[in-house]
Amino acid sequence: MNWKNVVRLIGVNIKSGRLIRGQKLRRYRERRVFQYLLYGGACVLGLVIGLAVGNFYIWLPDSELKSLFYQNARYLFASLPTLILIYSLVITMMGQIQQMGVRSSIQLPYWLPITWEEHTLASTLAHLIGLPSASIILFSSAIAVFSIYLGQLPLATLTIFALLASAFLASITTEIFRVLQVRLIGAIYKSSGKAAVWVRFLGSLLFLTAFYMVWFFLTSGGGTIAFIEAVTGTQNTVWFLPYVWLGIALASFIGGLLVQTIIFSLASILFILALFYVAVRLNAKFALYEPPAITVSKGAYVPKAGLLGKVGFSSLEAAVIKKDFKAFTRRRELMYIFILPIVFILMPMIQMLGSSKPLESSPFLYAWMLIVPGAFVAVMLGEMIIGEEGSSVWLLFSSPLTARSLVKCKYVFICIFSCIITLVCGLVGFLIARPSLYLALGLLIESFLLILALGMVSLRAGIIGADFAEIPRPRMIRPLTALVNGLLCMVLALVILSPLIPYVVTVMNLSAFIPVPKIDLYVAVSISAVIAVVITFVFYRISLKNAEEFLKKAEL
Amino acid sequence: MISTGEYAVELRGVAKRYADIVAVDYIDLDVKYGEIFGLLGPNGSGKSTTLKMVLGLVKPDSGSVRVLGINADDDPVAVKRQVGYVPESPRLYEFLTGLEYLDFGGDIYGMGASEKKTRIEEYLEAFDMEGREGDMISSYSQGMKQKIALISAFLHKPRLLILDEPLTGLDPKSARIVKDLLRKLAIQGVTTILSTHILEIAQAMSDRIVIMYEGRLLALGNIEELRQKARLPGSDLEEIFLKLTGTEAIREVVEALLK
Repeated sequence: MNWKNVVRLIGVNIKSGRLIRGQKLRRYRERRVFQYLLYGGACVLGLVIGLAVGNFYIWLPDSELKSLFYQNARYLFASLPTLILIYSLVITMMGQIQQMGVRSSIQLPYWLPITWEEHTLASTLAHLIGLPSASIILFSSAIAVFSIYLGQLPLATLTIFALLASAFLASITTEIFRVLQVRLIGAIYKSSGKAAVWVRFLGSLLFLTAFYMVWFFLTSGGGTIAFIEAVTGTQNTVWFLPYVWLGIALASFIGGLLVQTIIFSLASILFILALFYVAVRLNAKFALYEPPAITVSKGAYVPKAGLLGKVGFSSLEAAVIKKDFKAFTRRRELMYIFILPIVFILMPMIQMLGSSKPLESSPFLYAWMLIVPGAFVAVMLGEMIIGEEGSSVWLLFSSPLTARSLVKCKYVFICIFSCIITLVCGLVGFLIARPSLYLALGLLIESFLLILALGMVSLRAGIIGADFAEIPRPRMIRPLTALVNGLLCMVLALVILSPLIPYVVTVMNLSAFIPVPKIDLYVAVSISAVIAVVITFVFYRISLKNAEEFLKKAEL
Repeated sequence: MISTGEYAVELRGVAKRYADIVAVDYIDLDVKYGEIFGLLGPNGSGKSTTLKMVLGLVKPDSGSVRVLGINADDDPVAVKRQVGYVPESPRLYEFLTGLEYLDFGGDIYGMGASEKKTRIEEYLEAFDMEGREGDMISSYSQGMKQKIALISAFLHKPRLLILDEPLTGLDPKSARIVKDLLRKLAIQGVTTILSTHILEIAQAMSDRIVIMYEGRLLALGNIEELRQKARLPGSDLEEIFLKLTGTEAIREVVEALLK
């Protein structure tokens, strides 16, 4: 193995971040301070956390409490490798998901004298750049400092090694997954024939839903604590799973079982080496594999008049709307837009299932399920809908598309798509929460109003912040524009929904605490409608101006 | 259909800068109706910027661009309706099939259903794309993608074709079809602006050629006029090009590289 080649390949991967950050490409100057800021920040934060927890431990006055804290801290050390393993697995997989659909992300330079071992090792280590590395640095520095207060420096050293090994283990698993999924997708395309588009769509939805559920569960505070408790309690019972061997080795060390510590440590190293060997073999076999073509149609070509043409859209506008629909159902990197409503429905349900409160007759659950997914999708779509054109945007620029048509067809797509999602989510919410028909209808109108207003506001952001960079992953909108638009949409959503506050106060009999005038639902909805229409109209005028500028300045 | 004016494209005092880089430096240029016009120049000479200004994709800093009698800056959409454009290395919507892409292209230019069907089928057959038109573009080779981009540009019967390296990746048969098609279209009054680095193609196809260098027009005319300008009688376009762009010392460069 030529280690210099590995370092060079990792260097290429690090540099691909330049495109993500959208830095000036002409007369390029590397800003190394920013490059290492994440890691430096994680280290400082870790040291501060270590100092704070350590001092808290010293401060504890009760010796019994101190002893309990000491024991729990040691158990926490034992569960950290598995926690880091899962986190790294999720984050590295997320990196892979974001690169879906980009064929030329970090292309393997297979024509260069680089061995598959070098490539695999570089790729595995490169997956860890960024958040996984920063997490390890944060935990390691915190553990190192805290262990001094505990008098557990050997345990801390071993834990830090275990964390590094866990992250590497997760990354190799992702590498294997990456290679296998390309081959697997090829096999699915071949066997499913014309249905491949829909098989891919539904398969991606299922995978992404499961993936994001795990992600949201782990990143919610309660989820993490529950996970640590579960790992501490069950790690030894699932000893046959190689992924927990590092954690068991640490637990054995804490228990003073030296032989068991050595056995599980060596077994972990062997497992990592075996996985690495598998990853190298798979890369050698499938890394250059190209999935077969998806044949969508083989029948005679029949141009369709289409519904859109009949309801007043020009052929150009209808063509763009149809094209966008295909983009969101065929491009894997865009499919996650479907996942968010599913997650928005499932997350509160899972949380409420755990509680003793009944799901039925919960107007807030219904309001959440009805309003949030559609509005959120409208914001996301508005921000992405221009930038998703990517480098193919030259076709729109060179076509006879006016600013008015651009805004019209993109806005209509946002509204149709978001309204469908609202209707589906609303139906599910209605069946679960069983609100009154009066309330259901009122909130449904409110959610449509939010879609109309926020869709236009976000479309304007999508036009001014469009980013067509596609490598190493499609950006679609500049992060700062997305952030500002997100905040603006939150404020505007509150403004649109604010007439509902007096109604909620009245219904919940809170008038004694919050002095607001009595208001009926239909009055509140009417006021919301006026606010939403005004916002939509103002941002429509601004969007038109921005679209004109956008089409004029088509400097590709 | 043909405009009453003499020129399909008229550029007057057109200039364009990108920060401190002069892309196009106050040029005047006319392209006649029914002409195949070759636009040559080394990398970074301003060819692509000129083509984009003609199409209304880039606004000139100064000067005027008239295309088919329309001011491209005032009404770029009206210009685009009558132009077929193929950029250098075109990126297509890879999630569409070839057929869907052409259908989309036809709709963009407001073609009727039956005309669109007939023309798409004719072009697919001519370019040997039958049998692959239902596959997603992401699975196409570079040449097949180029064919789809070309068909899309020809489909709506544009009056002006702007083609940037149109023959890249094409097989010999398809390349020949494109060349013959452009000649026949020229007879029908369709104007073509052709930008290419393959000088043999430019020489064989173009009625007139312009050589751009550092944003300026170095030479303009038919091959005979270019020979006179370069004082290289009987020479081919490659020799003329190298002499006019000051890159004729190739032999010394190669010798130095071999040392």
